[in-house]
Parts: sequence; structure tokens; C-alpha cells
Amino acid sequence: MSMQQAGLAMPNPNPPVPPLTPRQAAALDDAATLGECTRWRQRPDGEREAESVFALQGMYCAACAGIIESALIAVPGVARADVNAASQRVLVQWDPRSARASQLVAAVQAAGYRALPAQHEAARVARQRESRQALWRLFVAGFCMMQVMMLTTPGYLAEPGDIAPDLAALLAWAAWVLTLPVLLFSAGPFFSSAWRSLRQRRIGMDVPVALGIAITFIAGTGATFAPSGPFGNEPYLDSLTMFVAFLLAGRWLELRARARSTEALDALLQRLPDSVERLDSDGVGRTVPVARLVAGDRVRVAAGQAFPGDGQVLDGSTQVDEAMLSGESRPVERGVGDAVVGGSINLAAPVVVQLQRIGEGTRYQQIVELLQHALTQRPGVMRTVDRLAGPFLWGVLLLAALAAAVWSVIDPSRAVWVAVSVLIVTCPCALSLATPAALLSAAGGLARRGVLVQRLDAIEALAHVDTACFDKTGTLTQDRLVLAATVLAPGADRNQLLARAVSLAVLSHHPLSVALVQSLPVHAHGWREVQEVAGQGIEAVDEQGRCWRLGAPAWAGVHLVAQAARPRVACAPWPSLPEEQVCFEFDEALRPDALGAVQSLGAQGLAVRLLSGDAPASVQAIASRLGLTQVQGGATPEDKLAAIAALQAGGHRVLMVGDGLNDGPVLARADVSFALAHGSALAQQRSDFIVLGSRLDQVPAAHRLAQRTLRVMRQNLAWALIYNVACVPLALAGLLPPWAAGAGMALSSLGVVLNALRLSR
Amino acid sequence: MESLYLLLPVSVLLVLALIGVFAWAINSGQFDDLDREGWRVLEGGADASPTEEATSGDQALDPGQG
Repeated sequence: MSMQQAGLAMPNPNPPVPPLTPRQAAALDDAATLGECTRWRQRPDGEREAESVFALQGMYCAACAGIIESALIAVPGVARADVNAASQRVLVQWDPRSARASQLVAAVQAAGYRALPAQHEAARVARQRESRQALWRLFVAGFCMMQVMMLTTPGYLAEPGDIAPDLAALLAWAAWVLTLPVLLFSAGPFFSSAWRSLRQRRIGMDVPVALGIAITFIAGTGATFAPSGPFGNEPYLDSLTMFVAFLLAGRWLELRARARSTEALDALLQRLPDSVERLDSDGVGRTVPVARLVAGDRVRVAAGQAFPGDGQVLDGSTQVDEAMLSGESRPVERGVGDAVVGGSINLAAPVVVQLQRIGEGTRYQQIVELLQHALTQRPGVMRTVDRLAGPFLWGVLLLAALAAAVWSVIDPSRAVWVAVSVLIVTCPCALSLATPAALLSAAGGLARRGVLVQRLDAIEALAHVDTACFDKTGTLTQDRLVLAATVLAPGADRNQLLARAVSLAVLSHHPLSVALVQSLPVHAHGWREVQEVAGQGIEAVDEQGRCWRLGAPAWAGVHLVAQAARPRVACAPWPSLPEEQVCFEFDEALRPDALGAVQSLGAQGLAVRLLSGDAPASVQAIASRLGLTQVQGGATPEDKLAAIAALQAGGHRVLMVGDGLNDGPVLARADVSFALAHGSALAQQRSDFIVLGSRLDQVPAAHRLAQRTLRVMRQNLAWALIYNVACVPLALAGLLPPWAAGAGMALSSLGVVLNALRLSR
Repeated sequence: MESLYLLLPVSVLLVLALIGVFAWAINSGQFDDLDREGWRVLEGGADASPTEEATSGDQALDPGQG
């Protein structure tokens, strides 16, 4: 099967990727950008060779890897390309003399995927090391478990006297030797985690687990080397290795699920580097990567580009989109002398800006610091299973002590053995698996619906929330505006006027023009002498030689009586008669599923609130459309934090849904947070859940699934406890043989896992 | 039955050796991406000669160290 056929058989579902802009290509080829993701090395023939790592976006199956690899190999100068589908990275070996980094990226983009210079490589390498270590621990435990069982089975099956005593001893010693790696290496995480929680004076589930492992091993050692000693002659080492292997399998799956969502998110968060035109002292522009700018530089920022730092406008005027930073839904006007904020987007016209702050001290950085601070104040989540751990441990210890006391009266020689076997059968295998199995299965089910889970504990917290706070701009509403009303003078030729207005709007990139083009059918028109007037609108001359203007109503010569709260543009010839004038009013568009999501959450018993940084009037307008009564508008990131903190102080558990940078701090502070995938990287990084495709109806669906998960977890815990409780009387009576303990442990764990699997459907 | 006295210790040593082999396999990255190498067999396009394919199949992607 050739690559082309593979591509045809499974059509790429990704939307076409726009080609690289010259600015992006320049930034990609700069050494400052390449340095982060590239290692240079000397080939045997003395030439320099580069090895670069790119993060990939848009991979949806293993076959995509082949398409990307062959696209890269086709670039002259590329020696090798290896895609790792699990971590969504590609390692490219290329010759810097015949290829450039931007060509590599362009080749991948032409194949329909996105490639971005990989960042955070150190964190990824650490994750990889951790997952390899976990897999090794699991393998050692699993392999030794099988061997130990094989060595123990003859003892269970043979009639007494069938096996020579010295051969039986040899079998027991071999089993003991193979238990050592399990205890010393595989079980290491349980001991270190138990020790950590003991030092913090807490009792987590790992404390009874570690205690069970340690006691079983001590008793098993005694039984192996001194079969007539106080520990009896039943080593239980097969139960011990099985127990550790089961728990490690659970942990490994948990780690893998977490790593998967981290990797997916990591690829999502990478951004293409940008470059900007810096003006030298003599006014000549040179394109440099944003990373090379310093405070005091003068830069020309093109329309559609983000401002690289906080600064002041020196020349030109434009409109700026600050929605990500403040939640303000309308573009704001910025002229000479006005301040612009780094991270906001220049919408209308190129401006020259003197940069005052870069990185440290910018508004962006302040919000990041606020977010870091909010994270430390987040209310802690106590896992249900860890709440159980303390009482469970004391109960087991008490039972063992009682058993020892009772048996020391009946038959002192068996007292130690009975106490130890109580501790062994109550070793909480199923109990420790009960929660992770349910959470993992639920995370898998959520991933299938397009919700990434970053923090597994958050699923449990989600089931307990009672208040949901929504951001407005970009979360409940769409980023673009829609045409709300068209105002015409009586007697105007509607069709002809609208056609003209739209054909003019096509020529402009202003957000209101774009909204107009999206709302009305487009007509071609032979405009001449098209001119965009910054901050006002666009004007052009038609076939009859008349000048037409589309833009701010006053500039277009249209005088409206009513002052509308909504943004509007007018279109008219200049000068014009009233019946030649048309005025358009725009409004924010609610997401199609916003109303349904808000109503479902209400029906599920949550109080829904609106918390926005936008002007109170437009927040109120959206709130009334959604039927929300608890509304706060005009809130800065600090105000939002205070509002969430006040709710939490009132005993509420808060769910926050947002997308913007200004939501970052509240998302970090709320008990549970959802970020939408189109939003700012920072908001996503610190959220518990990320909704791909920005579908709001997944929020109530996730809440329902979390509640089901909680029910399954409780069933699992109850079942595991019942198993442990049922075994205790047998152990107390001294009637529980090791094979029954092992089989019971395996069956109860299996039951717990099967019950949890229901959640992934 | 006497052979068991030799075979049992040998099997224990064999198990420990296998664990060592597996440790090497994990650390050389052979388990990092289990799907990719399976697909590579099906692709076999004109872009790589058979010998190159064999070597690139053995070398696992490990950008952290490689």
C-alpha cells in the first residue's frame, strides 16, 4: 500500500492548514528559535548536521505518521524523519546547507498537519523516563509473579509426602529469591509514598498497602527458612507478588492515561514563533524574531498580528482586540500616544509602537503571576479512598491485635501466624484499585467525547460542585460578531444597497466587515481607487465614478438619531441622500449549544453564574438571553478571583468554564475548571478539563459522567470492603489457606475493574 | 528427579537474566511507541531501501537523548 493510497483510504479530517506567512518562516529559520529544538552535530565527513524535534498537531491515527515521514523525506537535504505517534513528535535529521527549518514545517503543513518547533523538551524527556521506569517495574513484578506461582503450585497440588522435603525447601527458596526484586524494586513506589504520607502525618491508602507488603514478606521469609517457626509454613509469597503486580498494573495504566492527555495537550499548546519588523534608528525596518526584541525597540505591527509587548503607539491608529486579556468583546480604538498591551491583537491597520516592557512586568506576565498564586490557594481535594485509609488501617491493626490476644490464650504457638494472616488477607488490593480503575475508565469515556482530563482527581471533584461560573466572551459567545439588524430609509433600494455594502466589505479585514461578509451573500463589484482609512472605514469609487464609504456612521455621512449600544457601520455614497444610506448593527453570537448547556446544568442542580470582564451592559444582555440572574460584569482578573474566593468561603464548590488569558487565574483557583480548546494556552495549561472543539454541551455531559463515576467508585469501595471483611473471620479462625487468599484477591480486583469499565462506554 | 536440583537454580538465574534483557529493551525506547513500527511494515514505499528500513526500524525515536 503506497502512501497516496493510505491517504486516500482515510481522508484527512483536518481543515486545510494555511501556508506559512513570510514572518513565520523568518522566525522559524532564526537561530534563536531553532536553538530550542535542535541539536547540531559533526558528521564523520566533517559537515554540520542538524537534528530537530517538532511537535505535531492533527495526527489522528498511526497511519498519519507515515504520511508525515514521507512528506519530510521528500524535502531535499532531509536524511531521516522518525515520527513518534504516542508523543506526537517527529525527529528530523537534516542538512542545514540544503534545507531550511521553514521548508520542513511547510512540507508537513502541505501534507495537512501542523509542525511546530518543540518546546518543553526537558519536561517531556522526564515524562518519558518516568513511564519507562513504571513499565519496567510492572514487568519485573508481572514476570516474577508468574515464576513464583509456578514454583508454589506444586506445593498446593501435591499430596503430603509426594515432594521430598529438601526439594520443597528448594522450591520455597527459589520463590523467595524471585520475590526479592518485586519487593526491593517494583514495590518501591508504595514504600516511598507511604513514608511520605507518614512524614506529613496523614494516612493514605499506600500506608496499609506498604504495611501489608512488608508484613507478608517478613512472614514469608520466616516460613521459607524456618517452616517450624512462629510464622507457620505457608509463605504467601505468591499472593504478595500478585498483589504488587496488580497494583502496579493499575498505576501504570493511570500514568499512561495521564501522559497521553499531557502529550496531547502539549502538542496543542505549541505555537508557531512570530517575527516582527523592528525599525532601526534611521527608520529602516528589519524582520527579527519576537524573542530578540528588547524594551525600547520601535516595531511596526501589521494588521492581524499580536503586539509583542506592552508599549505606546508612536504612529498610526488602529483597533485592537483585547478580549483574551480583559474579556472586552468589542475592539478598542488606539491612536498615537495610547498604550497597547502585549498579547492583544492589532485588527485594522499597521502601527508603529515603542515597546516599554517585554516579558517581565507586562500585563500578560502579571496575569501569569496571579495565576501561579491562585494555584497555591486552590482548595485541596481529598480522595474518597484516602479518607477511608485511616479508619481502615486502624481497624485492621486492631483486629490483628485482637486475634493475637485471643489465640495466645487458645494456642500461643499459632498467635503470631493468625495475626499475620489477618494482616495479609486485609491487604487492600481491590480497595486501592477501586478508585483509579473508575477514574481511568471515566477519563477514557470523556476523551472519546472530546474532553481531555488533565487531573484525574478532578473527576471526583466535578461530581461535588454546586455552582457553575461561565465567562462570557469567547466561552458562551463566539469570537465573531453577527449582523443583528439592517436600518434603511423608507423607499431605499434594499437589494442594491446591500450588494454594494457587501462588495465593499470584502475588500477590508476589519472584524465588522468580516462579520458583514459572513452574514450576507457576496456580490462582485468593480471598485476602483480602494482606500482604507485607519479608524474610520474603507472608501472606493464605483463604475459611475461615485465615491462610496463603508465605516463609522459619522464618517460615512450617516446621522442616526438613536444611540445604539451595539457596534454599527454605515454604507453610503459620499455625499449622499437619506434613501441611499444603509446602517448595519452587530451583536455577539451565542454559541449554538450555550443555552442548552446552561439549562442542563441548571436541571442538574447547579447554580449558574456569569462572570465577565466585558462591559456590564453587554454582559446583562447575554445573561437575559440565557435566563441567568446572577451576573457580574466589568470584572478584572483580580475581581474574578475575589468573586470565586467569596463563593468558596460561603461553602460552595465552584466549577469555572472559560477560555481567555484573563480567566487563567480563576480557572486555577476554582475547585474544577474547564477550558475551551480555542482559548489561550495559559488558560488550558492550568485547567482540569479541556473541551476540544469548544462544545459547551460537553460540560453538563461531563458533570453527569462524573456523578456516575462517583457512584461506581462507591460500589467498588463497598465491594472491596465486603471482600476484606468477609475474609477476616476465616483468617481469625486460622482457616484461610494461601491459595484461597490469592484467588480471592484476584477475583475481587477483577470485579472492581469490570465494574469500572462500564464508565468508558 | 535429581536434575531438578540443578534446573531450579538455573531457571531462577534465567529469569533474572531475562529481566535484564527487558530493562535494556525498555531503555532503548522499544516500547515508547508500539503502533508506529507495525505500520511501517505496511508502508514500504519507494522512499527507503530495504536495508535503510531495517535500520530505521531498530532505532527508536528518542529525541531526548538522540
